[in-house]
Amino acid sequence: MTTSLSRRDALRVGVLGTAAAGLGLAGCSSGSSASSPLQFWQQYAPATQTEPNLVAQNDWFLDAVARWQQAGGRPIEPVFIPAYTDPTNTRLATAFASNAGPDLFLISPGDFLRYYNGGVLEDLTPYLDDDVVEDYYPEALATRTIDGRIYGLPMEQEPLAIFYDVAALEDAGLSEADLPSTWEDMLELGRRLTTGQRAGLVLDTTPSYYQNFTFYPWMWQGGGEVVDPGTQRSGFASDAVVQALQLYSDSVSTGAAPRTLPAAGDVVGAFRNGFAAMWQTGVWQVEAFAQNAPDHEYGVLTLPTPPGGEAVTSLGGWAFVVNSKGRDPEAAAQFTAATIGSMSQESIDAGVQWNGVGKGNIPARRSVTEAIGDTGAFENPWLQYFRDEVLPGGRGEPRYPPPVLKAVSNAIQAVQLAGADPVEQAETAHRAIESYLVTYEGAELR
Amino acid sequence: MTADTATTTRYRGERRWTPRNVLLVVVGLLVGALTVFPLVWMLSGAFKTVDEVNDPALIPASPTWENFTYVFTQVPFARYLLNSLLVAGAVTLIALWFHSMAAYALARLQFPGREKLFAAIFATLLVSLPVVMIPTFLVIRTLGLLDSYAGLIVPAIFNAFGIFLLRQFYISLPPELEEAALVDGASYWRIYRSIIVPLSRPILAALAVFFFLANWNAFVWPLTITSDPDLRVVQLGIALFQQQYASDWNYVLAASTVAALPTLLVFFFFQRQIVESIKSAGFK
Amino acid sequence: MTLALSRTAGRRAPAAPATKAQALRSQRRAAFWFLLPDTLGLLVFVAIPMLLSVLLGFFAVDGFGNISFAGVDNYVRMGSDPQFWRSVQITLTYLVVLVPLLYVVGLALALLVQQRIPLVGLIRSMLFVPYVISLVVVALVWEFILGERTGVLAQLLAALGIEGVSFLGDPTLALGTVIVVTLWFQMGYYMIIFLAGLQDIPGEYYEAARIDGASAWQRLLLITMPLLRPTSFFVIVTATVSVITGGLDLIFVLTGGGPAGSTSLLIYFVYEQAFLFGDLGYAAAIGSVLTLVLLAWTGLMFAVTRGGRFDHDS
Repeated sequence: MTTSLSRRDALRVGVLGTAAAGLGLAGCSSGSSASSPLQFWQQYAPATQTEPNLVAQNDWFLDAVARWQQAGGRPIEPVFIPAYTDPTNTRLATAFASNAGPDLFLISPGDFLRYYNGGVLEDLTPYLDDDVVEDYYPEALATRTIDGRIYGLPMEQEPLAIFYDVAALEDAGLSEADLPSTWEDMLELGRRLTTGQRAGLVLDTTPSYYQNFTFYPWMWQGGGEVVDPGTQRSGFASDAVVQALQLYSDSVSTGAAPRTLPAAGDVVGAFRNGFAAMWQTGVWQVEAFAQNAPDHEYGVLTLPTPPGGEAVTSLGGWAFVVNSKGRDPEAAAQFTAATIGSMSQESIDAGVQWNGVGKGNIPARRSVTEAIGDTGAFENPWLQYFRDEVLPGGRGEPRYPPPVLKAVSNAIQAVQLAGADPVEQAETAHRAIESYLVTYEGAELR
Repeated sequence: MTADTATTTRYRGERRWTPRNVLLVVVGLLVGALTVFPLVWMLSGAFKTVDEVNDPALIPASPTWENFTYVFTQVPFARYLLNSLLVAGAVTLIALWFHSMAAYALARLQFPGREKLFAAIFATLLVSLPVVMIPTFLVIRTLGLLDSYAGLIVPAIFNAFGIFLLRQFYISLPPELEEAALVDGASYWRIYRSIIVPLSRPILAALAVFFFLANWNAFVWPLTITSDPDLRVVQLGIALFQQQYASDWNYVLAASTVAALPTLLVFFFFQRQIVESIKSAGFK
Repeated sequence: MTLALSRTAGRRAPAAPATKAQALRSQRRAAFWFLLPDTLGLLVFVAIPMLLSVLLGFFAVDGFGNISFAGVDNYVRMGSDPQFWRSVQITLTYLVVLVPLLYVVGLALALLVQQRIPLVGLIRSMLFVPYVISLVVVALVWEFILGERTGVLAQLLAALGIEGVSFLGDPTLALGTVIVVTLWFQMGYYMIIFLAGLQDIPGEYYEAARIDGASAWQRLLLITMPLLRPTSFFVIVTATVSVITGGLDLIFVLTGGGPAGSTSLLIYFVYEQAFLFGDLGYAAAIGSVLTLVLLAWTGLMFAVTRGGRFDHDS
């Protein structure tokens, strides 16, 4: 076996080795043949595990593809990518850089702009009826819309809030009446709840797009902006930004918040073992608690605000996008529209299945919210709370290019973990963003 | 005194509990225990329920085999183990063979440009993975090896590390080794097979451990080039239990424990080879 | 005994001229076939990608097939990029501390576990064990020890009255912690290499030295260390290379380059540029510089040690 293998290689080497060198990175798009099914990369199906929620999510994708095919659409093959949501996963980037990207894939807001500016996102607007566009919550579409055209169709909205552990409050002799509504009270309570093994208040600590995502609301609450949507200039050297950076600085320096995530970032595990009392995280934890600790008593709280600030939070969530350099962008876009972006009963039902049964999170469309009502996953009062109390203050995670994201991340990290001065750091980031924007030529930042 | 008896006295002496040995054993066990500590925690976590998997207690309150049952019944974990075994085994065997041949030539055969060729081969060690990953992907795709066992095995074989290590070993063997054989008219292939390879057993055993483990633990490459669930290797299988937001750490730990067993077996087997094969080199 | 001693002298019997030419020819032929598979494989799967990456360094590449010639822009940018220089500085600290540690600890462990002592097989296996842990769980496993309030170390320190130490969350401690974890992860590996190298030293030497009354320390300095030079050379060279071009996995799971950039090694910086920022040209340029620096450094090492052969001729 070994000899034949090496000989075959040797032959291929001669013919193709030089060809590979000549191809460069702009190599021709080949891969699978033109008639094979379109590939849909995501993190849900086909899955092998049999936990009920995972099965429901898996079935949702398989059903959508089957319906599409029955209606005579071009076959689509869901491809499960392990660790797809892990920011260190290089699979998608490698495939696109080699012009071997999938025809259809799920994208998170932090990546959206780079793919758009790379020219690989198909305009979905022609495939969407006006009433569907109306049906979407404006905030869900805003950051995926460029010059009035829609390039990504969200399947959910994921707002951030504070989760708290009821037992932690009780241990400190407190009740839900003592929950904070201001930053000051939040830090004070964080300090009080920090005991022994327990971290009082957890704000994200790992440098990443995700940490930026969790930082924005604190900045927005006082009216701060990374990039001013109107002028497209840096807004980072503002009082509101400095104030939010000061909050991160104080949270660690006063001992209210830890420097690393308890329980390696597992919120449910941390609450259950008494390692954390409050944690700024997203709606997805409701489902995580339902699955892994259905009896654990926890609660949800809209983000506390600074003096005179308004209650704002950021919204995440995965969206369908179509590779415009794929084999059949038109079919892929039609599939996307038929599945999650049509006023047909089927499409609304699919939304109900996804948001109300399979994944248990906030729909991106009003008709789906209405159809779910308080049934299914939304029997859970905390999911209702997210829908009724948290979502109205929501704003879509903005799309920024990597150098801007990095400048913001550096400022957060420096004040939070290295004790740097918020004013100085805001100024440094401001200059970095400004000088980058001078030559920036991509889509509008918002 | 012959070399053989020297070796014997050195390596097969009685292991007595002299004061010096007691001290060494205590030091060794202490360092060993510190090293193993995290692993013990992994092992204990594999027997914990989801309720207590984050609990730092070393002894599970209510030990359970359920995580292991889950790992094998919920995903085709046996298949993943088999895939890894096939890939890691094939890479190890082929790599040992190719590298020992190349190293033998580089260390002990005279030919023009030898040092230059060695320098070129060595230079391939100096690449940084993040920058060659995309070009390598392109090459693999051009050769039609995406989503195949060959794509998992072939690129993993070629690594200058093994060639370099074996070359360093071969240049320190005495030159008289081959001379008698050459006078007898033996071919270089025969010398390689009957003299060099048997002499390299310790170093080949060490390399076998490295190659097997490196490929058994491979994650990024298999993730990048395979889509077919039937081609999933064990480290991808473990990642399946890490969900988007909340990971089932008890299953991850059980799967990792299962994945660690074959590598431990490989090590137990080969560490004897590494140490005891000095006997075969005793005639030096 | 005589055979063994002659190896340091490196004598070679002169052959008759005719036979010598013939022998050289057949050696050349044999060398060709012996080297063919690996050379071809390395060419296709390593050298060509490496070449492509060097070329990329002269282009602006966005990771979506859009590519334009950029001359030396990427190289110029490196000079004025403070993040880049910060990463260089962190990498140098990491290198200067970690490589000697790996060398000394690896050798010390090898010397320990090659002893004829009871339970040595068990000890040897224990020391190698970290290498078998899946990286996926390394972070979780270390959380158990390093966790800020919950870890074993934090609790030990708390018992001593020291509180609030964050090994991975404090910029002044994080790099040191990463070094310790890397040492823990890799020391077994270098132990094995040294162990294999030690097996290569003929036992007669030690026997002779013992008869001459040499102490254990003298035997180490006068026999082991000189004869271990090819192995030592190998370890220092490969440890340097792997410390600079590797280590990405552990950074990912332990710190993600934080806190406040304190563990943002150069290789992490390169990864970030390539895969998070999609700036493949810049990443390739930095990668090329890294390779060049390593070439210069290892070239020097090879020159000083006569191609890693030391006093052995072939």
